[in-house]
Amino acid sequence: MSANEGWIGRRVQRREDLPLIQGKGRFAADLTMPDMVHMAVLRSPHAHARLLGVDTSKARELPGVFDVLTSADLDGIGEFPVLWQLPGQKASGIPVLARDKVRYVGEPVAAVVAVSRYVAEDALELIEADYDPLPTVVDVESALKAGAPVINEAWGDNVAIRHIVPGIDATGKAGDIDGAFAAADAVVKARFKINRFSGVPLETRGLVASHDPLTHGLTLWSSSQVAHKQRTQLASVLGVPESSIRVMTPNLGGGFGVKWDCYPEDALVCLFSQRLQRPVKWIEDRREHLMGTVHAREQVQELEAAVARDGTILGIRGKIWADLGAHIHSVGIGPAWVTGVSLTGQYRIKNYYCEVIGVATNKVPSSTFRGFGGPEATFATERLIEKAARAVGLDPAEVRRKNFIQPDEFPWFSAGGGVFDSGNYPAALEKALEEVDYDHLREEQAGLRAKGVYRGIGIGCYIHTSGFGPSFILGLVGYNTSGYEGSSIKVDPQGGITIYTGMIPLGQGTETTLAQVAADQFGVDFNDVRVVWGDTSQTPYTGFGSAGSRSNVAAAAILKAAEVVRDKSIRIGAHLLEAAPEDVVYENGGVQVKGSPEKRLTLGDVAKAAYLAHNLPKGELPTLEGTYVYDPAMFTIAFGCHVAVVDVDLETGEVKIVRYVVVDDSGTIINPLLVEGQIQGGVAMGLGGALLEEFVYDENGQLLTTSFMDYLLPSIHEVPHMELHQQVTVSPHTPGGFKGMGEAGMFSPGAALANAVSDALLPFGVEVDRMPITSNLVWSLLPKS
Amino acid sequence: MNTLHTVRLTVNGTAAEVMVEARKTLADALREDLGLTGTHLGCEHGVCGACTVLFDGNPVRSCLLFAVQAAGHEVGTIEGLARGDELHPVQRAFSEFHGLQCGFCTPGMILATVDLLEHTPQPSEDEIKEALGGNICRCTGYQKIIESVQGAAAAMASGLAK
Repeated sequence: MSANEGWIGRRVQRREDLPLIQGKGRFAADLTMPDMVHMAVLRSPHAHARLLGVDTSKARELPGVFDVLTSADLDGIGEFPVLWQLPGQKASGIPVLARDKVRYVGEPVAAVVAVSRYVAEDALELIEADYDPLPTVVDVESALKAGAPVINEAWGDNVAIRHIVPGIDATGKAGDIDGAFAAADAVVKARFKINRFSGVPLETRGLVASHDPLTHGLTLWSSSQVAHKQRTQLASVLGVPESSIRVMTPNLGGGFGVKWDCYPEDALVCLFSQRLQRPVKWIEDRREHLMGTVHAREQVQELEAAVARDGTILGIRGKIWADLGAHIHSVGIGPAWVTGVSLTGQYRIKNYYCEVIGVATNKVPSSTFRGFGGPEATFATERLIEKAARAVGLDPAEVRRKNFIQPDEFPWFSAGGGVFDSGNYPAALEKALEEVDYDHLREEQAGLRAKGVYRGIGIGCYIHTSGFGPSFILGLVGYNTSGYEGSSIKVDPQGGITIYTGMIPLGQGTETTLAQVAADQFGVDFNDVRVVWGDTSQTPYTGFGSAGSRSNVAAAAILKAAEVVRDKSIRIGAHLLEAAPEDVVYENGGVQVKGSPEKRLTLGDVAKAAYLAHNLPKGELPTLEGTYVYDPAMFTIAFGCHVAVVDVDLETGEVKIVRYVVVDDSGTIINPLLVEGQIQGGVAMGLGGALLEEFVYDENGQLLTTSFMDYLLPSIHEVPHMELHQQVTVSPHTPGGFKGMGEAGMFSPGAALANAVSDALLPFGVEVDRMPITSNLVWSLLPKS
Repeated sequence: MNTLHTVRLTVNGTAAEVMVEARKTLADALREDLGLTGTHLGCEHGVCGACTVLFDGNPVRSCLLFAVQAAGHEVGTIEGLARGDELHPVQRAFSEFHGLQCGFCTPGMILATVDLLEHTPQPSEDEIKEALGGNICRCTGYQKIIESVQGAAAAMASGLAK
C-alpha cells in the first residue's frame, strides 16, 4: 500500500490542533467588529408568575445604552417552533421574550444593548419588571396532582402527551404482554429516577449578528451545532426570507447537544442588529447557561419485567414520566420517546408495552443532550436485568447471555419498532468479562467482604442508535427534521481537493476525520484535502445538523460524492488516453489504463483538462466536482459493554472506582486516536451524570445549582483510568460500514455504577435505583445500625 | 465606576499599557484591550481554570483578578509560549497525544502543565492530577491529558539530555 492509500483507519494527528494549542482558535467570544455593541438579557427571578409589566425607561436613560426590547416590541415576531411533534402532542413554542407570564427561573424577559457588556448588565438592574407570583410545580408528581397549577393554560393540565408504545414484531403484530406476565416465574418491579443534567460545554453559547445595509441581509456568527437548521428557524421566527440569512460557525468549545437547539437570544441579536444597523454580540455567562440553556434527562420510570426460572426475560412493561420543563423545547419530547421505544435493549424481548407521559414543570426546558434518551433506557434495562438475575438466583452475566440477540439474528426488529443493523453483543460482554477477570472478581468478593471491603461488580451493556434516517421515518414519528447529509467535492484546476460539509465540528475532529475519508477515496495525501465547514452560504444543507454521532452519515456522503468525481475523472481520463472508459481505473491518485500503468494521468492532469474544456468527451460538462446527498438507508446501532468495579465505604457512602473496562463496537473506524478520545470523553461525561451532576431546584422552583461550585463537573480526580477495547462489526447499511460513535461512551456509566454499588451492598439489600449516586445517597440507603 | 485607570504591565515579555475601569477583570483586559483571546472564559467565577495565566510565573485565574491588580506585574499567556514557529514541548505533546478536543480548556491546561513541569520535571500521575485538579475539561475524560503531560515531561527530559 502506498503512503496515499488506506487513510481510513489511520491514527492521524489532528489538523485542528495547531491554532488551538497556541491560543489562536476563533471562538464566538473572540470575534469583534467595528461598531459592535453588546447585549445582555434580563431573566425571570420567579419560577411561575404573571408578568404585569416591564418598565425600561430608566435603563434607556443610562449613558451607553442603545436599545431595549420587551415582548411589547415584538409584534410580528414568531415563536421558535417545536420540531418534534408526536401525534397528539399539545401545541407549544418558545417565545423570544416572555409575554404575560413567566414559567421558569431564567426565562428571558427583556434585553438591552449597550456599549459594553459591563454597561449592558448595569442597565439590566434599572429595568423594573412587575411580577405576580403563582404557585409552582417542580416535579412530575406534583404537576400531575388534581388541582395542580397549570403552566400552559391552553393545555388544561400539565400533560403534554400520553404516548403509547405497544410492543410489536417485524410484521407490526402486537406481542402478548399480559400473557408474558401471567407465565412469569418471577416479576421484578422498580421505580427509577434519572437526574436532570446536561451537556454543559466549557464554552457557553455565543452570537454576533451583523446586519448588512446593502443587501438587508443578516450574518449570524453562532456557536450552533446546526447552522442550516438555525437559519431555517430564524427565518420563520423573524419573518424574513431564508436566503437573507447567512449563519457562520466559528470554533465551538463543545456542544454535546445543547447547541443543537435554537434559543431566544438567537433572534434577539438579529433583531437588535436590524434595529441599530450595527453588529450585536452576546456571550452567555455561566450562570445564564445553567439557567437558560436546555437541561436534559430527567425521568421517573415505573417498570416491571416478567422473568422465567431459566433467566429468560419474557416481557417488560411500564410507564415513563418525562420532566419537560416549562416549554416543549425543540425536540423536548424526543428523548423520552427514544427511551420509551428502547427499553428492550440488546435483548430478545418480544413482549413489551410502554407509556410515555410528557409533563410540564416550572423548570428550564429539557431537550437535546448526548445520548438522547438512550442512557435513560440503558439505566432502566440494565438495572431490570440485574434485578431479574437476583430474583431467579442467577449470575447477572448469565442472564444477559441467556437473552442476547444473537449475531446471526440481524436484521433484528425490536419490540419498540427499531431495526437493528448488525451486532455481536455476546462478544462484547465476553471480552469485557475476560478483561476484568470476572470469575476471579466473583471468587474474591466474599473473602473481601469478610475483611470489611465491600467490592461490587456492575455490568452495563448498551446499544447506541445513530445515523437517524431515512428521512421518511422521522416524518412518521412527527420529527420535523431530516436524516440526510450532503457533501460536495471540488477538484480545482491544479488537482487540489476541497470538500464542503454541512457538519459543524464541535471538537470531535470532524475536519480531520472527513479529510481522511476523502484522501482515502482519492488516493492523495491527507494534507492536500481542504475541508470547508461552518458557513451556510458555502456548504450543503444538512437535514439533521451536527451531532456527536453524525460523522458516519457525513462520511458516507463523502464516499458517494467521491464516486461521482472519480467516475467523471475516469471518463475524461479515458478520452485523453484514447481508451474506453471501462478499460480505465482510478488508482493511487490518478487514472490509468488497466494493465498499462504507463498510460496514466494524475488527478491534476485530468482536472486541468476538465477546466480548460478544450478536449472533453462528447456531452461531458466542464470542471470537476460532484455532490451527493446521503439519506441513510436505516439507523445504525453501535453497541458495547462497560464493567465497573467499585469499593463502597460504609462509613461515608463514598464510591471508589477500582477498575473501569469499556468494550466498544462502532463499526468501521476512521481514526482510532479520535475514537478513543470520543469514547473516553463520553464515559467521563456519563460518570459525571452518574456520580455528581444534577440541576437541583427548591420547592419554589428556584434553581440552586447556578455555578460550578454547585453544579459539579467531573475533574481529573473523579475520572478513573478507563481500560478501552475496540471491536469492529460493520454496518451493512452504510457505505463504508460506519456507525455513529460520538455518544456511545455516555450510555452505560450510570447503569454499570448503579449495578456495581448495588452488588457491593447486596448483603444489606441496598438497591441503587437513581442517579446521581452521591456519597450522600449511598449513605442514606445503608441501614443505620 | 467609569473612571479609567492606566495600568502598565508586562505581557509575554513585552511592556503593555491599558486604560481600564477598576472593575474590569484581567481576563477581559487581556482579551479586549490587548487582543489576546487565547485566554478563555469558561465560568468567570474561578472554578474551571480555562482563564489560567502565569502571573509573575505562577498560575492564576485571570477572571478573579482585576486588571488594575496586574500593574507592575508580569503576565504570561498561551500566545507567549511558542518561540516564533517553534512550539513549546507541552503544546506539541497535547497535539501528539490528543490531549484536546474542542480546545477551549486547552490554553489553561497547557499553562498549568508548563508550571507543573517547571517545578516537577518528572511528575507522578498523582502529581499531575494535583496540578491539573483545578482545570476542567468537558471533552477528553482527562486520560489523554495525563498522557500528554507525561509525553511532554519525557520530551523535555530528552531535550535536556541532548
